[in-house]
Amino acid sequence: MTLPPILAALKKHKAGVMLITLQIALTLAIVCNAVFIIGQRIDRIERPSGINENNLFLITQSWVGAPTGDDAGSVDKLDAMQQEDVATLRNLPDVESAISINTLPLLNSTWSGGIGLKPDQQSSTAQAAFYFGTDEMIPALGLKLVAGRNFTRSDVNHMGFRGHNRPPIVIVTKALADKLFPKGDALGKTIYVDRDTPSTIVGIVERMQVPSPDSWANDWFWNSVLIPTRLDAGFARYAVRSKPGRLDAAMREAPKALFASNPMRVIETGDNFEDTSVHSFADIRTHAYRADRGMAILMGVICLILLCVTAAGIVGLTSFWVGQRRKQIGIRRALGATRNDILRYFQTENLMIAGVGVVLGAILAVGLNLWMMKQFAMDRMSLLYVLVGVIALLVLGQGAVFAPARRASRVSPVEATRSV
Amino acid sequence: MLKMTHLSKVYRTEVVETYALRDFNIDVKEGEFVAVMGPSGSGKTTFLTIAGLLESFTGGEYLLDGVDVSNLGDNARSKIRNEKIGFVFQSFNLIPDLNVHDNVEVPLRYRGMKSAERQQRIKDALERVGLASRMKHYPAELSGGQQQRVAIARALAGSPRLLLADEPTGNLDTQMARSVMELLEEIHRGGATIVMVTHDPELATRAQRSVHVIDGQAVDIAEEPRFHAQSRRAEAAAEGGAH
Ligand SMILES: Nc1ncnc2c1ncn2[C@@H]1O[C@H](COP(=O)(O)OP(=O)(O)O)[C@@H](O)[C@H]1O
Ligand SMILES: [Mg+2]
Repeated sequence: MTLPPILAALKKHKAGVMLITLQIALTLAIVCNAVFIIGQRIDRIERPSGINENNLFLITQSWVGAPTGDDAGSVDKLDAMQQEDVATLRNLPDVESAISINTLPLLNSTWSGGIGLKPDQQSSTAQAAFYFGTDEMIPALGLKLVAGRNFTRSDVNHMGFRGHNRPPIVIVTKALADKLFPKGDALGKTIYVDRDTPSTIVGIVERMQVPSPDSWANDWFWNSVLIPTRLDAGFARYAVRSKPGRLDAAMREAPKALFASNPMRVIETGDNFEDTSVHSFADIRTHAYRADRGMAILMGVICLILLCVTAAGIVGLTSFWVGQRRKQIGIRRALGATRNDILRYFQTENLMIAGVGVVLGAILAVGLNLWMMKQFAMDRMSLLYVLVGVIALLVLGQGAVFAPARRASRVSPVEATRSV
Repeated sequence: MLKMTHLSKVYRTEVVETYALRDFNIDVKEGEFVAVMGPSGSGKTTFLTIAGLLESFTGGEYLLDGVDVSNLGDNARSKIRNEKIGFVFQSFNLIPDLNVHDNVEVPLRYRGMKSAERQQRIKDALERVGLASRMKHYPAELSGGQQQRVAIARALAGSPRLLLADEPTGNLDTQMARSVMELLEEIHRGGATIVMVTHDPELATRAQRSVHVIDGQAVDIAEEPRFHAQSRRAEAAAEGGAH
């Protein structure tokens, strides 16, 4: 059978047709956008941090009764305590390297500021996050230097948290270098960090994520500045890399060793992430993207439910129609329709309904994306998502219609005479 | 044209076995007009559905056009139904979702006929039954007699060589029954073989030959017109309470 008579017959079942068309359209619109969002979340989750994450863990600890002043004496005292801790950690048999650092990628503890090309520039040229550490930061984190040089020991100074004696040199990420100096000649140039000290770029690292995984940092996600300064405060963070396969052991030993060298400190071991002081980097990564993963899973579940409901709707409606039309199927069979003709009848019917549904749905999908772009600063969805969605729903429709259509094709021609 | 020998048809349900036909023998020659009569439940419809390849049978032999149909596959049977056989049912059996034109077109589409030829045949067939002006009407908008004429047009359009009619006038009043009968006779004159089940002895007499089905067996009443005419009265009397 070909289209016109099928269409004519469908006119007699308008309500059902409209319902299922609308359902297909809505499903397509929502699924396209949901899959697009899932894709974006996965893209975020899969961004490389730029550091070597293997066997890495982080200790965040604070001292009890440590000096609190901004005076040089207090700061020097804190600095000595910090360096002693680093030495203690390095001496552990399972530890390969240990450094003090203010934060790490994905840790969601960000110190950021504007970078300018001139002193007292009104609006900054780029936003960037700051990593304060020593000449050991690059090798210990496995960062890749692509131009210039690393810091030397003598480049490194130390200051209190509220201090202002910034060193005159920095290392920046390639992304930031290119943003500031699009011609690619960043090395040796002077930039103004936080409208403050002029700093010369002495080196460029390939990649290092900013600490915040959140969307507010989306526009400057790769813009990091490495500053050769040990920050001294009542608390300190240590990034420790264990020897291969010794991560768990090192994570157990490290707090014990720190307590042994100086018991006047707090290292928490709580049940949830926030109450815990020692985290493997894998944990940090999981924690950082839990909202993205949750959202992706939620969207995925919604898609699955929608697709199932739509498929069930098609199965239900077609089954109902097959039941309703047994007699006319029998008549068609009596008049010479083969089983295949009947099967094709219902498949074609479904294709027509789904065809209208996906056209409507494609328009809705793009509309929904445009609306979300306006409302939630969403990105523009590639039409590829719509195309794949259209094909997926057509296939879903054909799959869903198959069982009832096959049942229809098995209606005996004798039904034309027997049932009334 | 249609030859059944020792044919049987058993309907099995979990509790009972019903012999709808047993040792059923009939031979319908090409171009014959045969009336089939018999009490309700005697197996007339069963005979017709088997003859029309709507249903399979349990035992015996059935030759249609000299071909043993028991070994034919479903597609081959569909093709024969589509090309050789026309059906007219008591309850008209038009497709309610389709208008008159589309209803008549159904078997032609399954034949894969070109649109131009289909339109021509639909027009001719509907003209023959006097309903060319009702092409766009739906079955529900027609009287019973008109619906039956559409059904006949649908059978006609495919120019079948064998027309099977199961009580085609059963749901019609006398006048409509008569016009349907006239149509069948006209089709018969055109060369088609017709087998018609009827309860109406009046109509049966207009056929060349009557076959009685009693308890699943065929009893030939008259082969020759003379014998036919004689037995008609007795037959009518016997048939009195049967329908
Ligand atoms: N599908 C079926 N299942 C069981 N028994 C059937 C079926 N169809 C017909 N029969 C039985 O077969 C016998 C013949 O029926 P049928 O051919 O319809 O008789 P008629 O058309 O002469 O009234 C009846 O006893 C009927 O009950
Ligand atoms: Mg009957």
